[in-house]
Amino acid sequence: MNRIARLALALGLMAAGPASAADTIKIGLMAPITGSWASEGQEMKKNVELLAAEQNAKGGINGKQVEVIVEDDGGDPRTASLAAQRLTTKGVAAVIGTYGSAVTEASQAILDEAKIIQIANGSTAVRLTEKGLKLFLRTCPRDDEQGRVGAATLQKMGAKKVALLHDNSAYSKGLADEINALLKGKVQVVFFDALTPKEQDYSTILTKLKAAGPDAVFFTGYYPEAGLLLKQKRQMGWKVPFIGGDAINNPDLVKIAGKEAVEGFQFLSPPVPKDLDTAEARAYLASYKKKWGEEPGSIYGLLAGDGFRVVVKAIEATKSTDPQKVRDYLTNGLKDFPGFTGKISFNQKGDRVGELYRVYKVDKAGSFVLQP
Amino acid sequence: MEQFLQQLTNGLAVGGIYALIALGYTMVYGVMKLINFAHGDLFSCGAYLGLTLLTGLALQDRVGPVAGLLVLAVLVVVLVALLGAILERAAYRPLRESPRLSAVVSALGASIFLQNALMLVYGARFQVYPSGVLPEIAVSVLGVQVPLMRILVVLVSLVMMGALYLFVQRTKVGTAIRAAAIDQGAARLMGIDVNRVILLVFLIGPALGGAAGLMVGLYYGQIGYQMGLLYGMKAFTAAILGGIGNIPGAMVGGLLLGVVESLGAAYVSLAWKDAIAFLVLILILIVRPTGLLGERVAEKV
Repeated sequence: MNRIARLALALGLMAAGPASAADTIKIGLMAPITGSWASEGQEMKKNVELLAAEQNAKGGINGKQVEVIVEDDGGDPRTASLAAQRLTTKGVAAVIGTYGSAVTEASQAILDEAKIIQIANGSTAVRLTEKGLKLFLRTCPRDDEQGRVGAATLQKMGAKKVALLHDNSAYSKGLADEINALLKGKVQVVFFDALTPKEQDYSTILTKLKAAGPDAVFFTGYYPEAGLLLKQKRQMGWKVPFIGGDAINNPDLVKIAGKEAVEGFQFLSPPVPKDLDTAEARAYLASYKKKWGEEPGSIYGLLAGDGFRVVVKAIEATKSTDPQKVRDYLTNGLKDFPGFTGKISFNQKGDRVGELYRVYKVDKAGSFVLQP
Repeated sequence: MEQFLQQLTNGLAVGGIYALIALGYTMVYGVMKLINFAHGDLFSCGAYLGLTLLTGLALQDRVGPVAGLLVLAVLVVVLVALLGAILERAAYRPLRESPRLSAVVSALGASIFLQNALMLVYGARFQVYPSGVLPEIAVSVLGVQVPLMRILVVLVSLVMMGALYLFVQRTKVGTAIRAAAIDQGAARLMGIDVNRVILLVFLIGPALGGAAGLMVGLYYGQIGYQMGLLYGMKAFTAAILGGIGNIPGAMVGGLLLGVVESLGAAYVSLAWKDAIAFLVLILILIVRPTGLLGERVAEKV
């Protein structure tokens, strides 16, 4: 190839670049690809990328190909605000994500100001949808519902004295406060305090918890800490039942704690991937396994997938990427969309409608068994 | 009283690990006046290498449980020491003559590099050591049930620290290290190969960090690629607390920090645990700006 031809090719590519970009619909994904929730984030990415590829194979959205733009929020509010800012410059029609409530909160105002639809997949803190942000929705349930189910479970267990342990994060503290308020006057809360996440040794906390003498301990934090707590509780020879919130729903819990230590542990969660029983979800799980070699471990990746699918549905139905039209369709037009995680409808606040939380118990083999 | 003793042993077990890692910071600082921010990540490397070798070589099945652990420990320590030497060669030696700030930036870069390398090699998910490698026996000390392994963790830490102290104080090589710590130029004039001393320091420090990583992996089971961050920060604090550059200071600082954290959490507030520990640090530094045993730093200035 001579020099002129090469130059012409380069110019041609440059000219073709922006033109072809205008023919795609860009969907942003903000996810903790690195950081302590990286396993959730990477599953979110796998789900959304697989769904986008499937959508493109079917001819895209309204004849346009979908392009997924992934930004890493590191599971950290500061990184998240940078990630959100980068997404606003890339012409995305909507942003899926993210997982942690505090992280999502850092991105909300930035995306709202840039008039971009945001659909969070794991941020359950109540206040996220109480601010009147018009373009924010979520596919996960809220912590006030989780709090209700949690308090009811504690009462059903017949606990007279309860200990509440959180990790000071927006989600964890919020859920603990929620349960604390609901238990007031019914069950005595003998312990309410926070641990420091990411540590390895929680024996100090366990020794202190034990001295408070609770009948049951509710830990509202995440699974890495829960696994270590359960393991070290067993090493101490302490037999009190532990319950946890939906951030503990991850199969790695069993690996970290060991089967003996985790047996009998209960947690609240939207149904785990293997309990999704619609034909659509099962077919999707099979294609996920075919593509990535393993089944998804966490429900939050699938909730991100559902977020992607409702956005695609809304853009298809409104034949527009106008954020206001998409939002109006999602809150008013979309009713009982067959999501992987159940039927999806949104209320005017942008919250998902319907009871999603279930109680799970870990059995001898380390499997998560749905409780009736 | 029983709870107090229990919390004291909890604190000592954590403190022993802090101390072991703190030694790596303090040795490098003593000789090079460099905070090796990648040290916490060398600690993580020790934990990950231990897991790979443990599951990959099945040493325990071949040479028995105790001998297997010893061979494993030696392998991990040697490999992490080599990693430390490579790090010195690649990240610090080219900057030996540069301003100190450049080396600090290089150390931060090395830390990020190691952390992300671990994530790429092993994945972002938490890795877990197989259970049943260590015996789960608890012994009764003064009416307190203490898992045998906790006592061993503290004992192994103390023995390693003691051996290092004797090595530095009593051997010829140790004297060379101390001489290089006081004045590199003068040491060179006395015929000490300062480059070799620095290399040695970068073998010993990471070796201890690697050993600590292996112990944390074996005892706590769960390891993550970011584990070095928190331990590194605490151990760095411990080194400052004891007087950075001072080997017994790192031991005292580590154990003290562990105990203060544990007792602060138990008797004041759990949520404020780290705040209490750092408050103690600040108070000690106000009274003794060079740390608890830090006279030597003052001598040098």
